[in-house]
Amino acid sequence: MSVDGLAPRQRLAAYAGVARVQLRTQLVYRGDFLFRLLGLLVNIYMLRLVWDAVYPASGTATGNGGHRIALATQIAYVTLALVQNWLLNSGGMGFIPQRVREGTVAVDLARPVRFPSQMVWAQAGAVAAQLPFTVVALPFALLVGGARPPASVGAAFGYLLSLLPAVLISLLLTTLVQMVAFWTLETSGIFVIHRFVQQFLAGALVPLWFMPGWLRVLAEWMPFQATTYAPVAVYLGQAGVWATLGVQLLWCAVLLMLLRLMWWRALRRVVVQGG
Amino acid sequence: MATVASNPVPAHRQYLLLLHAAWRGQLQYRGNLVLTLIGGVLYQGVGLAFVWAVVAKFGHVGGWGMGELAFLYGVRLTAHAAWTIPFNRLNSMDWMVQRGEFDRYLIRPAGTLTQFLNWSTNIQPLGDLIGGVGVLVAASSAAPIDWSPTAVLYLLATIAGGALVECSLQLGLCGLSFRLQATYALRMNFIDNIMNNFGGYPLTIFPSVMRFALTFLLPLAFVAYLPANVLLHRTGELSVAPWLAWCAPLLGPLLFAAAYKFWYGQLKHYKSSGT
Repeated sequence: MSVDGLAPRQRLAAYAGVARVQLRTQLVYRGDFLFRLLGLLVNIYMLRLVWDAVYPASGTATGNGGHRIALATQIAYVTLALVQNWLLNSGGMGFIPQRVREGTVAVDLARPVRFPSQMVWAQAGAVAAQLPFTVVALPFALLVGGARPPASVGAAFGYLLSLLPAVLISLLLTTLVQMVAFWTLETSGIFVIHRFVQQFLAGALVPLWFMPGWLRVLAEWMPFQATTYAPVAVYLGQAGVWATLGVQLLWCAVLLMLLRLMWWRALRRVVVQGG
Repeated sequence: MATVASNPVPAHRQYLLLLHAAWRGQLQYRGNLVLTLIGGVLYQGVGLAFVWAVVAKFGHVGGWGMGELAFLYGVRLTAHAAWTIPFNRLNSMDWMVQRGEFDRYLIRPAGTLTQFLNWSTNIQPLGDLIGGVGVLVAASSAAPIDWSPTAVLYLLATIAGGALVECSLQLGLCGLSFRLQATYALRMNFIDNIMNNFGGYPLTIFPSVMRFALTFLLPLAFVAYLPANVLLHRTGELSVAPWLAWCAPLLGPLLFAAAYKFWYGQLKHYKSSGT
């Protein structure tokens, strides 16, 4: 790994290239967009109906922190959280396992930029490809679900700011889970488990303020909530901007370290399959 | 070995032979097996986990307690598993048509559908079965049901009927792939998504237009909801006649016969892609 051979500028250009390839790959399959959009809208609409049905007639319920959550706030949460989760997780999970299975990982390893960085950037490209779809989907989602203005100007800025670490944490988590392929070669099982844990603990279905006590504690101590719950809670004024950003940055650092460590171990395990 | 044309292998034996081969192939990957099964349980478990969290907070959904909701969910999930175990290769329909794989199935001396369904298999639906039966067993004592022999038989008929309803919709739409090349997004991202999302809820929480649509346009109510109301003695709250709920398990076989004929009818429109 002659990483030192490249200037930072060259390295950045290489990463951008990796991301662009993945972005193009994703855009080839845009034909399915209509039905994927319908699927998202069905999800949002269903959750909205369920919250409508269970909410007390008074229109507010008490959250874990003791504060009142209005039905409109809850539905706005569900809408934003699902759209955000959709953006972050539509890029697919099959990148590293496919490279390991087909043996093309050998080519990736020979490239003069670090493999984990290549993978994170490739994933970033895949997510970037979903951005235009998300922009189209958002107004429909708000129509089917519900919208609320941000709690304050500070909350609006805080939301946009916290989206950046949220995306990074999501990319890192996805890459970490994919790295398991170096040990197991087959990963479909791991991915489904990750999808479940991710969806639930990220707060994509139930916000942390309505989770039963022990589950909320668990969710708070895991990185998943920083990808979905945290930014939306900031937007709705249910979480402090600075505390949220602090936790998110901490997770970025921890996960980056974890990725380094895992890669260091994985290098000793690489099996190049096929010819 | 007599000549194949004059002495063909009987249809059921063809099916069993190919089924055996498909399963043997998949069970080679022991390492991934357990993870895939856990993944299978969790994949469909998200919906139930959501219901559980909501009930933990609000006590009920549409007047149904956790026992009743879990029973409904268990019936739906078991029915889903009962068709996805033998029919999971329908997933690959578009791909097989696009690659011209049906060329092979058409010239071999075995049923076209039999060969297509068993060219490989996916073990993940076994996880659905484990999850579905597990939930059903746990819920059958928690929900207020009189377990007479008739009730047990009715439950088995319900699961078989429900499986056939879902399977018929998928098989029928797969038939369209012979002409349209691609129906995956419509089948999975839309129809299956609706089934998985709405299938586990009492339809009374939805607006009447949707209740009608999910009963008569997309027969989701016939999969689990209507018969579950019979077993839970809740037919009084239905917006359809109780006799229709009682007869719900009969729809499956009728739809399946139609879908089977339709699929073979559409096969005539298959054009090899020439690859």
